Amino acid sequence: MSLNKNYFCIYFLLFFLSYSQAQETKPVKKDSTDTEKLDEVLITATRTIRQLSTVPLPVQIITRKQIQAINSVRLTDLLNEYTGLITVPDFGGGEGIQLQGLDSQYVLILLDGVPLVGRSAGTLDLNRVTVGNIKQLEIVKGPSSALYGNEALGGVVNIITADPIEGFSGDISHRLSTFNNNDTNLNLSFKEENFGITAFVNRFSSDGYDLNPFNQTQTVEPFKTFTIFSKLTYDFNDDTRLTFSGRYFQNDQDNVGENVSTGEVFRGESKEEDLNGTLLLNHTFNEKWKGQLEFYISNYNTIEFLNDDVGDNFTQSEFDQYFIRPEVRAVYTINKNNEFVLGAGYTKETLDRTNFSISPEFNSPYLYGQYDFNPIKKVNIIAGFRYDSHNVYTDQLSPKLAIQYDITKKLSLKGSLGYGYKAPDFRQLFLDFTNSLVGYTVLGYNVAPQRLQDLADNGFLTAGSIANLPNILSMFNEDLQAESSVGINIGAEFKPTNSIKASINFFRNDVSNLIDVIPVAQRSNGQNVFSYFNRNEVYFQGLELNSSWAVNKNFTISGGYQYLIAKDKEEKQDFEDGRVFGRDQSTGLDFQLDKNDYFGLPGRARHLGNSKLFYKNIKGNFDANLRVQVSGKQGFMDTNGNGYVDNFDDFLPSYAIWDIALNKTFFENYRMSLGVDNLFDFTDPISNPNDNNSITQIPGRMYYARIKVNF
Amino acid sequence: MRKFKFLSLFALLTILITSCSSDDDGQTLVPIESEQITNLFADITGGGMGQPDEGPFTKFDFESGSITTSDTDWDIAFRSTAIIVNGGTTQGTVGEPERNGNAAAYVAEDTFANVTEVDESLFRQDSPTELAIIRASGMGWYTYTGPPPFGTNLILPTPGRVLVFRTRDGKYAKVSIDSYYRDNPPEDQLDALVNEPRYYTFDYVYQPNEGVTTFE
Repeated sequence: MSLNKNYFCIYFLLFFLSYSQAQETKPVKKDSTDTEKLDEVLITATRTIRQLSTVPLPVQIITRKQIQAINSVRLTDLLNEYTGLITVPDFGGGEGIQLQGLDSQYVLILLDGVPLVGRSAGTLDLNRVTVGNIKQLEIVKGPSSALYGNEALGGVVNIITADPIEGFSGDISHRLSTFNNNDTNLNLSFKEENFGITAFVNRFSSDGYDLNPFNQTQTVEPFKTFTIFSKLTYDFNDDTRLTFSGRYFQNDQDNVGENVSTGEVFRGESKEEDLNGTLLLNHTFNEKWKGQLEFYISNYNTIEFLNDDVGDNFTQSEFDQYFIRPEVRAVYTINKNNEFVLGAGYTKETLDRTNFSISPEFNSPYLYGQYDFNPIKKVNIIAGFRYDSHNVYTDQLSPKLAIQYDITKKLSLKGSLGYGYKAPDFRQLFLDFTNSLVGYTVLGYNVAPQRLQDLADNGFLTAGSIANLPNILSMFNEDLQAESSVGINIGAEFKPTNSIKASINFFRNDVSNLIDVIPVAQRSNGQNVFSYFNRNEVYFQGLELNSSWAVNKNFTISGGYQYLIAKDKEEKQDFEDGRVFGRDQSTGLDFQLDKNDYFGLPGRARHLGNSKLFYKNIKGNFDANLRVQVSGKQGFMDTNGNGYVDNFDDFLPSYAIWDIALNKTFFENYRMSLGVDNLFDFTDPISNPNDNNSITQIPGRMYYARIKVNF
Repeated sequence: MRKFKFLSLFALLTILITSCSSDDDGQTLVPIESEQITNLFADITGGGMGQPDEGPFTKFDFESGSITTSDTDWDIAFRSTAIIVNGGTTQGTVGEPERNGNAAAYVAEDTFANVTEVDESLFRQDSPTELAIIRASGMGWYTYTGPPPFGTNLILPTPGRVLVFRTRDGKYAKVSIDSYYRDNPPEDQLDALVNEPRYYTFDYVYQPNEGVTTFE
């Protein structure tokens, strides 16, 4: 745990007990019996511990209890069951989160408050994260760069792990399921007097699965992963705590490639490693001042290779990223109604990567501040800013303002306005890649002018491109700008009774300078040379609804819905200008499309919904749940030749995924679970050899059994 | 209704009178020609993989409505996805014909039927930097669906893109490309591994009358 405020220690007992399974006493002052819900607190929204209901931002919490009830294995399994959180497979093979319509590359993923790195193609693969040691998952929606800087353009997901608990405790569990998925977890915790330690080991392996019978590769090749995590805490006294946490993740996966035209198959391996280390010193100076000193280092590396039939090396690629960040934070509490958070830090990133002509380095000092105050009793205002300086791209100033107004105890309004950005990454600036099979070239923006000149000098460009070279080079005159967004969220929360809760949130996020890959010159082999440019302006707009109802002691029902419009402003204009046409396949005649025919960005469903029914029988030590997630139709690419995703294209039809889980506890410490994920076996298989896309990559029905022993 | 009939009659009379007066001048208007060409093969015999495209273009003459091997009497020519006009300057690739006419082209954004008039100001000719019909996905006549394994690797005619040509001798034609694959298969059944590319099927309307800028 690295992000704990100093008073985390003070709240620690209270905090843990409300989430731990071994819930015994309720040392909470609240006069309600529904302690669990009232006590939900989070740290991600403000960097101070806040009750969920008092945060003026659209936030979401997923607790360990919920994770355990549904027997999730990886973070990807978990997120899809919550409103507005959907994971999307990436062409690069990873699977990242989509938040309010924004892709994974615009969502910052934190582990105990420090960023996970290693986005070789932009997506941070959430299959890397086991849920086995997650205490709580915190999600902040909307631009959050005012606190977190780079990548927090669409929002933040913070994975919170458990701290050591007084005494010795632990659990061991194993889950076996279809596809020979084996997930084993061991959790140990020890704390005595000043010293505490946790240790966690997870092994997860799978035979993978295949949705495409027409080729010789699998959708997911067999793999095995290990995760080791440990956290040590030492309390010098009541005011000072030192925390060290370390994580090691490793994934070994078969790597299979097929030359589509010749059918030749290449085999190899891909190996992935992720290391994270955090040292955190918390100190309370006095009632008003608390300070934190944090040092974080992370390394993410991959090695991939493919060999041909004979065993000769065909391709090999390496990726090796270091991320180092010292940060200092202070919380200054004037009184109950006025609090300041101040922070300053320095980020250093390096990357060694195949197809990079240099080993680039990013250096970025930054500073942030936040004022959290209650001008009157019913109003809470948070105003914050962050300033990031950078050695390669333009400095960024990210402000944020959020307001909550509690009209009554049962009804409150929230509104927030924020700025978010994502800096051009190493790949977009420094990649120098030529595809050996097809022959196209992709150049990072900063290396492109020199490389284009080289290609021209060596006769690799067409006569046309050479003649046009001065114009092409002039496209690179200005620096590539960070992608940025301005987002607004307006919502309301309504709690008519202790057992009913409903919320609504409207969001709009306008993103500018979206970086797109576009062809800039033609190689003499007819293939293109691509580079990265700030091009598109897009917007994401929608509505999110959530509600839950604890019907009685046994049943809880919850449901959620997200409506989303995601459009490119230029494309929308093309429709309005009447430049877009369709073709009637039976007559061969073209017809003009109007603006209502524009569906919007691919890979996003307009309608997403979920519903869950939880049953709990305390006497019988039994609980069960039935969940469904529904996705409306989504476009995946232009299929009718006009270059736009419109209503006349092919769509991935809507689908529903049902899950069921049964959990029974024996002799207090033994828990046995049976369940089926994807009960009705929905898949989106490849239907013909020409159909290359399996958009969702959702595996078929999975039966599982799980056993867990606490000690 | 009655009024409409009357107007139609009036229009018919006007046309007859105009036609008569043309006759009087000795300049009979030849009827415009609407044709479909199927499976025009636009082979490419060399290049690729580091080399420029090579090989002869398949030349087409609107006046005769057929393929030609003439070095001079051609209007437009095809090689792979490149469509060139007999006007402007050669790009100097192997097999590329010299331009010796005054042909030109532009791409209109409309349905084929709606392109009724030529806009002379939009015409461009081929140049070493760029062809009059730009050869790039979404910029000229076609949309490329992307390379495998994620794209379907097809060349699809962009709907609503009409190629308007001035012929080598100053007449006009409009062209709508129907397909780039042999026998013009339905688009949703196209398979890059099965269907043979570089076989153009296209509709055209040719206005054979000198100086007439309409297609009606």
